[in-house]
Parts: sequence; structure tokens; C-alpha cells
Amino acid sequence: MSKISISLNKRSTKGIKKFFSYLFISIGALIMIFPFIWMVATSLKPDAEAFTRPPTLFTSTIEWENYTDLWNPEVRDLNIIRMGWNSFYLAFLVASGQVITSSLAGYAFAKLRFPGRNKIFFLYFASIMIPATAVFVPNFIILRSLNLVGGHMGLILPCLTSAYATFLMRQFFLSFPKELEDASKLDGCNPLKFYWYILIPNAKPIIATQFLLTFQWHWNDFQWPLIMLRKEELQTLPVGLSYLSQQYYTDWGHLMAASVMTLIPIVILFLITQRFFIQSIKLTGVKG
Amino acid sequence: MRNFIIFRKKENKKNTSLKKFSKSDMFWGYSFIAPSILSFLIFNFIAIIASFLISFTDWRLIASPNFVGLANYQKLFTDPVFPKAMINTAIYTFFSVPLGVFMALLLAVVLNQKIRGLPFFRVLYYTPAISSSVAVAMVWMWIYSTDYGILNYILGLFGISPVDWLNNTKTVLLAVSTVSIWKDLGFKIIILLAALQDVPKDMIEAAEIDGAGWWKRLTHITMPLISPAIFFVSVTGFISAIQSMDLVYNMRFEQDGGPARATTTMAFYIYQVAFSYLRMGYGTTLAIIMFLVILIITYIQWHVRKRFIYLESD
Repeated sequence: MSKISISLNKRSTKGIKKFFSYLFISIGALIMIFPFIWMVATSLKPDAEAFTRPPTLFTSTIEWENYTDLWNPEVRDLNIIRMGWNSFYLAFLVASGQVITSSLAGYAFAKLRFPGRNKIFFLYFASIMIPATAVFVPNFIILRSLNLVGGHMGLILPCLTSAYATFLMRQFFLSFPKELEDASKLDGCNPLKFYWYILIPNAKPIIATQFLLTFQWHWNDFQWPLIMLRKEELQTLPVGLSYLSQQYYTDWGHLMAASVMTLIPIVILFLITQRFFIQSIKLTGVKG
Repeated sequence: MRNFIIFRKKENKKNTSLKKFSKSDMFWGYSFIAPSILSFLIFNFIAIIASFLISFTDWRLIASPNFVGLANYQKLFTDPVFPKAMINTAIYTFFSVPLGVFMALLLAVVLNQKIRGLPFFRVLYYTPAISSSVAVAMVWMWIYSTDYGILNYILGLFGISPVDWLNNTKTVLLAVSTVSIWKDLGFKIIILLAALQDVPKDMIEAAEIDGAGWWKRLTHITMPLISPAIFFVSVTGFISAIQSMDLVYNMRFEQDGGPARATTTMAFYIYQVAFSYLRMGYGTTLAIIMFLVILIITYIQWHVRKRFIYLESD
């Protein structure tokens, strides 16, 4: 009798515990996601309805004007589509560049034998301690002396390599079976051929992960384009959005529409590839 | 003795192979690392040296630089904005990082139970982290807006009169800092959750059989085991918070560093001095100070790590 009541008690406290756990994480999730819902809702409201009290989440009519205005040449002051394209292809180039340079260097540091290899690697890896903000000013000056300030070339040049990505690639390649390497050597494969025909096809997951992370980071990057680019038609989306906020100034409908436009590509990419994303975040954490 | 022999053997092997680097490996090795190392030399190594050199000049980008000795470093003591920026950065960092880590830990522990729809929750919590900080700044400006913002409306339901969050020198820094907690929470949760899932189940069960309550299990087994992950999210949190600029720049239409410079952080001030006032000499001086601050904090944290971290993950 007493046994039954105890187990019942246990079960009900467990149920209560579960209930509060779900309640807690649901409230948390709501706080995380609410600003995005609010953003979309405001972007679809007619201007007047953005300023109602009490604030309404959804209005009776959905207004697409805030969006169409963004690429209407008579209304727009900034070419948001052009900026979106700039962001896309710059992030794409940077991510591709980083994947190539870091996989090559990671392979060399992990598998090839040459004098000073580990010392060079250690020195190179130590550079992750240098905060990006601390080298913005000197890098601007270096690129200016090379006449590269203001263009896309100067923007991507310092971003084409990454000590951190090299480190992750090296870690991955270190666990690559040595037999495969020896066999390919016997077959007369030089390191470049080995890299291209054997290593890369087997490193697709880490390459995809690295690509995604870098793409996302540079799609959102704000400070470096703000410093490096002056002309509006060359500018990237985040900086464009920042310019826009100065022009529209509390015209929330348009601002929210432009914000949604900035978020949509990366959120879709994230939803499709979230397994890779989560995996890569875990990867960075484990190495800490 | 045995160890010694093994050591000697390894040494021998290394010595013989040192003489026998294959030419092919050397050629390809150096070629493969060349792009990375070249970029490192120019944009890190030379950049740091250039920083020091430029910090001894009064370079304003338009005219040619003059050597001014330590004038820029002396200016740190007379410039009223510099200490303000340091204090703001410190408040921003020490508010957002500990609170962010604590909240992430709390949520990760709850999420680590047998929760249905975990991937769904993980995506929701991680969405702010992948979002553009400028877009995020925009919507939070709207949420914080005095008359029409949803925050003041909700507070109004509880009889609290509207607060001008982003124009009040007392509230603006913490308001922006709160947004950064919200934005970075997902990253911290995922790392802590991954660490929690790696905690061996039998260890927890053994403790349970021994009569340890959930609080004891949490503080005596789980926490020590995930301490490397807690350390990692704290360090990365500190380093990024010290460099924070995107939110403080964009959460004001004036983009002026806040009312009475209330949100002028170090990174923002460096940007302003170097690229708005075009004073490269003083700008690099400030950047060097920030670099040193981050180095010192990283150094301290590594010492703390040695003392408090229970297990190393490798």
C-alpha cells in the first residue's frame, strides 16, 4: 500500500517537474523568437497601423508596400537588391577562399613533413589571440597603401585565410588513416594529387561545415565592410541596412521589411543545414 | 627507466628522419602553407608592428605623419572619452557575460532532460545567433521605442510608466547589453548542451544509488565535468563582448555612441577616432590598449582554468 503511494507520488512529482521544464523552455523559446515575429508583423503593416496603441501583432490587411518600395526605383534611396548580391558573392568568395587555403595548410601541417612544421603551426595558431578589432586600423592602412581601399578586392583579401579554420582542418586530417597515404605514395601520387583525389572527397563534411560557418559570418559582417567600402553600390547588406536606418528614421515598416530581407537568406540556409551548423558549433566547443 | 628508453627511441627516430625530409614533401608542404602564412605575415604580423609605429605619430591620413613620441599615450590620461569607453566596455562585458552564461547553463540543464522536440527548441534558440546584428538592432530599437514599443506597453499593463530606454543614460547601456545576451544565448546553450550530453550516465546513476539528490549530483558531478565547456563559453564571451560594436553602433539613429557617450565602447571609440576623425595615430594607440587588455584577460583566465577546471577534455 505504502509502496504504491510512494511510486504514485514520485510519478506525479515527475509529471510536475516535466510540466515546469516544458513551460520554462517554451517561455524562453518565445522570448528568443518573438522579436522575429514582431519584425515580420510590422513589415506587413500599413504605416499608420505600426503606431497603434495597444500594439497589434497582425493587422486586418497585409500590406506588401514596404517590400515593393525596397526595389521600386521611384521610392528607394538605396539599392537593397544590389547590396544583397554584393553580400552574397563576397561571402561566397571568402568562404570558398578560406576552405581552400585552410584545407591545404591543414593538410600540410597534419601530414607532410618539412623542417619547422610544428613551430610554424604553433606561431600561426597563436594568431587567433589577436582580436580583429585591434588590427582593423593597421590593415586599413596596409590596404590603403596597396590602393585597395574602397573596392571588393581589399575587402576580401585579408579574409581569405583563417588560423582557426586551419586548426580545425589539421585536427580532422590528423585522424586520416596513414595506410591510404602510403598506398597512394606507392602508386606515385604526389601530395597535390593525394589532396585533390583522396583527401578532399573524404573531407566533405568538415569542408561543408567550415564553408557554412564562414559564409554566415561574412554575410552578417558589419564592421569590416563599414570601414573598407564607401560607395553605396559596392556596399553589403548589413551596412546598407544601417544606412537605411539613417534615411528612413523611425519609418518602422520599411526598416523591418529591409531587416527581414537581410535575415531570410541566412535563416533559410540555416534551416536547411542546421545539422551541419549544430555539429560545427559543438566541434568548436570541444576544442576549447 | 622504461619511459626514458621510449623517449630515447623516439628521439633517434626523429633525428634520422630529420635528415631525410623528402624533397617532394618539403616543396608541397611549403607551397600549401604559403597562402595562409603570407596572409598571416601581412595582416597580423606586419599589422601589429605597423600599429606600434603608427601609434608614435600624429598621422591623419591626409597629411604625411610626424613622429610625436609618446604623445598619443599621454593623451590617454587627458582624453575624457577614453576612461568612459573603458568603463562602458567593462559594464557591458561584466553584465552580459556572467548573466548570459548563467542563463544558458540553466536552459541547457533543463533541455538536457528527455525533452521532446529538442531539435526544434535548439533551432529556435540558435536563430538569433545566425542573424545579422544590424537587423537585430533594428527590431530591438522598435521593441524599446518609448511610445510605441512593445516593451513599454507590456510594462504599462503592470502600471509601470514608459521608460525612454535608448535615450536615458542610465538604461541605454544595459538595454543594449541585454540584446547581446539574447543574441549569443543559443551559441552558449548548444555548447553547454553538447557537454552535458557527454556526461557519463552511469556516473550520475551511481551517485543516485548512493543517495545524492539532484542538486548534489548537479554541483558535484555534472558541473565539474562540464567545467571546460563553461570555461570555453565564458572566454569566447568575454573576448567578443570586449570588442562589441555592432549593436551599440546601430541601436541609435544618431550612431553617435549613445546619449552623453553612454554606449561608447572601446571598439566603437576606436572606429570613431580612426575612421570618422581620421586620427590614425591615436586610433592605433587605442587599438593597442584593447589588444593588451584582451591579452591580460586571456592570460588571467588561463590561470584560473588551471585552478578550477576539474577535467580536461583532451
